[in-house]
Amino acid sequence: MQDNAVPRETVASLVDGTITWKRAKELVRLPVKDADRFWKYLDVLQSRVFWKEKILLRVSEHLYIVAKGRERLIKCDCGHEFGDYRVNWKLGSRVRVRRTREDMKKVFPVEVAMPDVERAELREYYCPGCLSLLSVETAPVGQLPVFEVLPDLDTFYRDWLGKPLPDESPDWFQDRTCELTGQWARED
Amino acid sequence: MGIAFGGKTLKDAVANAETLFKETGHIYGLRTLPLVEEDPAKFMKFQMRLVAACVAARSTARYITANPMALLMEELQFMLAVPEGDLAASSYGLIGHLQSAPFIIRAMASLDFEENPGIRPGDIFSCNDTRYGAPHNADCFTTIPVFYDGELVAWTMGMSHISDVGAIQAGGLGTMSVDAFTDGFIYPPTKSGEDFRLHRWWELHWERRTRTGIFNVMDEKMRATGAIILHDKVLEVVKEFGADYFRQGLKEMLERERRVMVGRIISQMVPGKYGYQAYQVVQYKGIMKSLFPFADRDWLLSYPCATTITGEGTFHMDLEGVCSEDTFYANCYEPALRMVSSIGCWPSFAYSSTLNTALQYVTDWKLPPGSMFNPQNPHAATLTGLMEGSAYLYMFMCVSALAKFARGYLEEVLPQAASGPGQAMHGVFADGTPWAGGDWPYVCAGGGPPQPFRDGAPWTFGGPNPQSDSGEIEVSEFVQPPILYLGRSIIPNYCGHGKYRSGVGVGGVQLILEPGQRLVMNSSIASGGGMGMPSHGLAGGYPEPGDVVMWVHDTNLKEIVRGGGTYPRDIVELLQWVNDGRLKAGKIDVYNRFTPSVECGDGDIFAIGAGAQLGWGDVLERDPLLVEQDVDRGWITKDVARGLYGVVLQGGKVNQAATSQLRQTMKVQRKAESVEARDWWKEERQLIAGKEMHTDVSNMYADLLRYPGFAGRFKSFWQLDEDYALQQIRG
Repeated sequence: MQDNAVPRETVASLVDGTITWKRAKELVRLPVKDADRFWKYLDVLQSRVFWKEKILLRVSEHLYIVAKGRERLIKCDCGHEFGDYRVNWKLGSRVRVRRTREDMKKVFPVEVAMPDVERAELREYYCPGCLSLLSVETAPVGQLPVFEVLPDLDTFYRDWLGKPLPDESPDWFQDRTCELTGQWARED
Repeated sequence: MGIAFGGKTLKDAVANAETLFKETGHIYGLRTLPLVEEDPAKFMKFQMRLVAACVAARSTARYITANPMALLMEELQFMLAVPEGDLAASSYGLIGHLQSAPFIIRAMASLDFEENPGIRPGDIFSCNDTRYGAPHNADCFTTIPVFYDGELVAWTMGMSHISDVGAIQAGGLGTMSVDAFTDGFIYPPTKSGEDFRLHRWWELHWERRTRTGIFNVMDEKMRATGAIILHDKVLEVVKEFGADYFRQGLKEMLERERRVMVGRIISQMVPGKYGYQAYQVVQYKGIMKSLFPFADRDWLLSYPCATTITGEGTFHMDLEGVCSEDTFYANCYEPALRMVSSIGCWPSFAYSSTLNTALQYVTDWKLPPGSMFNPQNPHAATLTGLMEGSAYLYMFMCVSALAKFARGYLEEVLPQAASGPGQAMHGVFADGTPWAGGDWPYVCAGGGPPQPFRDGAPWTFGGPNPQSDSGEIEVSEFVQPPILYLGRSIIPNYCGHGKYRSGVGVGGVQLILEPGQRLVMNSSIASGGGMGMPSHGLAGGYPEPGDVVMWVHDTNLKEIVRGGGTYPRDIVELLQWVNDGRLKAGKIDVYNRFTPSVECGDGDIFAIGAGAQLGWGDVLERDPLLVEQDVDRGWITKDVARGLYGVVLQGGKVNQAATSQLRQTMKVQRKAESVEARDWWKEERQLIAGKEMHTDVSNMYADLLRYPGFAGRFKSFWQLDEDYALQQIRG
């Protein structure tokens, strides 16, 4: 075993949150990171979901980009599919907005330090399938939901991992979010 | 005949370095590192000799000044740069500030200083001008050229944060300024000495233009002396290793570091576009009305970042969507932005056993001209603009966190948020002696960030700001006696909540004690003016609760202390004491953003809440036993355990069945209280189309819509008419 080899069970304990701080620090102090971490990570993640689509990337606690036929979708571990990963998945979520001090106080219990309710609302984005809280933003009215990550998957797999994806295309690295809102506007 | 290698002028040498990088992608065109490869041990010795020389200069020079900011609070740095300006080695200290150094040297090159006033052995150059590289004018740089056999082989530099900059407010972290003329004493690159001696006239400037002339003169002498100490040490190294080795070695240090950083990004992250958003609120309305009516308004400032981690392993930041420059303290130039944001790069991918500016070849910025981070008005106020640039410090930490999370290196995920007020203060002692100073024990310090497998540490020091790690928070009492620390304590529930919460923030209470004839304070707040910096949590965690600064005037606390009573320890207790009558109080000033000047009297109380970070993950997924532990420690209250985390405690222990049931009920409530995103979009769109928003929000968009990229995205997302516009409203 190489000095920097990290067993699969250690990666699993990182994912599960059961790793000890002592062991985590050992990982931090590796002089060179274990190069195969990503594959072990994917393997652990894939083993934890009940569905069969291949995980290409984890983008949040519950959310994955998966390959499904000719599509690359955002999928929750509960099985809910948000659609094309090039569209900000928040537009496929359920949204709760807090606008009053009373409502804000429930999640910012130290009132003197709560967000500025005159200028901001608090947006909570839930998975429609399992109602997990996926993201929270303090935002003035009108702020576009933050598109947390649009990965350049083709470059990542081809150039950084050395294992190109079979369906490479420049189109995969395009933000398509506004196409969806355009569609909504047309349909209304 | 120029002063640089091969008879090049400094200006040509700088241009040549830029061309080489552009053409090859390697710093100074170094495709190979022969010195490193041929004898790594010798190279390491060479590098460490130079680092040690920087550290030794810092350790020695600080005793020259009487100024406690350098002597006790350790706010100083000594550095070594190549002739073209890149910093090759540095001491520890204010580690962000070294990013400014190349800009100052390149400014002298582009201004043809070689021709006039000349760059000769023994010359001393000083600069604190943000337009020419300083982060803000409290950060003063003193630079000395190092010549060997008539050739400029390096620069040595000293920098320190000074007590007072002679601005409209005293101290070095002003919160009220409308242009460069209210920023105080600003000096562009200036030949302040020759033959290794500072000019007498230069001292007179400090004495006449700042409130703490004696301190500032001593600080200048400290910086110059440290730079001279370093100059002499560097020449010893040149003689020992030879000029050719020295010249090549400095450049290899930089290129090697660049490769290490790129390698880390490629091996630990995922390329792509990453979103980020932060805000700040500036309140001038009512304060500027008579003196500066043009600045008598408030601003909501937007700090977005479209960050691309490129396929080449570099970071590209597009800041279109940042507000325009204006008549506030908050403008800053690229050097300040690079300086402060580098602090987020160090722990993310730029950590190193040595400090240098190779980072500048791994990051590039698109800063829209006319924006507050690229002001076109040469007299824009930049008094504390670097604090605003810190939005991008946290961008680096949050984006890197997401990129490493996606890659599987969860142990490297450190998503930090801004926190830490810093105070400027001045006064006149009872005997008539004027003074000015500051206090920054909370800056860059606070609760630790959560990781995807553990909570943030309860209280951590901040590496980039020495005072928060200097040992004694009371150190300021030795030099600013009117403000006595009563205590600090962890504030229950004051954290970014989530599956993994941030470290719990801390409150501190100080008593204003016999301030003499006058005491005036102001505070700059890091955490985004009640809007968050960043304004979001991660992976479902809640955003940070902000910093709080409070003054409670005309209290009876001195009587309580004399009577042997207890006293409040943090902001929450302080307000409770006032509300239930245990503490008598007159006026109470509470701020979640930069404060104006506040006059303080004997028996007033100054209090801070700081250090809360953002949360990671869904609160309802937090291990109930961790919540039980938090309640047991007094970090989370029982009502919050139940109401926010859905954890039912009985006799201090988790009732698992009741907890599961409550959490299930809370999930059902989530469905009832939320709507489909499409319905949310329709509702929010109506508000925007109807222009139903707070004046500051409307004014912010009115400004941002002038930028085509922002306007395109905004109108496209909300499907607004092409002619949609908002008018600036004063009111």
